Amino acid sequence: MAASSESTIADSIPISPLFMDDLRQQIKDLMVNELMLQITADEIGNETPIFSPEGLGLDSVDALQLVVALEKKFGLKLPDAETARNVLRCVDTIAAAIPSAA
Amino acid sequence: MSRSILITGANGGLGLGIARAFLQESPDNHLWLGVRTHRDAAIEMQSQHPDRVHLVELDVTSSLSWDLAVETIVATHKSMDVLINNAGHHDDQLLAMMTDDSWHKVIDSNLTGTFNGCRAVARTMMGQRRGRIINIASLSALLSPPGQANYAAAKAGVVGLTQSFAKEVARAGVTVNALCPGYIDTPALSAMGPEQRQAAIAKVPMRRLGRPEDVAAAAVFLASDGAGYITGSVLKIDGGIF
Repeated sequence: MAASSESTIADSIPISPLFMDDLRQQIKDLMVNELMLQITADEIGNETPIFSPEGLGLDSVDALQLVVALEKKFGLKLPDAETARNVLRCVDTIAAAIPSAA
Repeated sequence: MSRSILITGANGGLGLGIARAFLQESPDNHLWLGVRTHRDAAIEMQSQHPDRVHLVELDVTSSLSWDLAVETIVATHKSMDVLINNAGHHDDQLLAMMTDDSWHKVIDSNLTGTFNGCRAVARTMMGQRRGRIINIASLSALLSPPGQANYAAAKAGVVGLTQSFAKEVARAGVTVNALCPGYIDTPALSAMGPEQRQAAIAKVPMRRLGRPEDVAAAAVFLASDGAGYITGSVLKIDGGIF
């Protein structure tokens, strides 16, 4: 949590673990639905790598769809490929980047 | 359900023909006619259907102009349903004599214009999980005639772009297809003299020039629910030339 001139009162409110669990679940549901994955949300771990073959093995086309869906549902903006690569590692990294959870 | 349909190069013979076909197809179709230098015919169409036809300023070679146009449509209509990338021009010259200006302008209006359009609507359509893009290529993309190195290259580029982009957005429920009209009887073709015109007709097995409605019917079909599983297709509309 960076203390900057832009920090607001919301920054000082601790994030409830329940909120984070719910957020992770929403992200998994969104991935399954938006990317038409042939698995259930429960089969996605919080730290399962999204793009490596050992993980979900998604491709760049999925990544773009995920970027669009995350922006639409959570207002998460991933303006460039570098940012997207860093955020779209696993469910946990996505959850941490969502504005209301940051 | 009401649909927003953006047609670029809407003041030309083909653009107007496509606009007319969508107007006739359904009262739910709302047309946005992209215009730049010429707009007389588009203004006339708007005056006849003020509730369903809108004009939008659009320089297809400028990505900024595209962003503004799409923003306007989405702000008004809340969705961007169909894009017809129809704007373009040809400037025929033999390659050995072709000027830099002729090459670049033809590539810009036909190929870069189509790229800009596809990119401008991509995220909106993907977010909607719905969208239809129809790129007007040309028979020249497939049967490149002499004197059209610039135009044939640009339109072949449109075909390649269409097929690549179609794969990228297929999962998002967006389809992208290309139409390749042959000789279509439009004001753009009237630059031909009577002899050239006869020579063109002689090449067509159906022995007639195409009409804008022939191309428009295919565009309406590709934008329809029934065409939901068709993407990356390249459809010739040419009276049987091959």
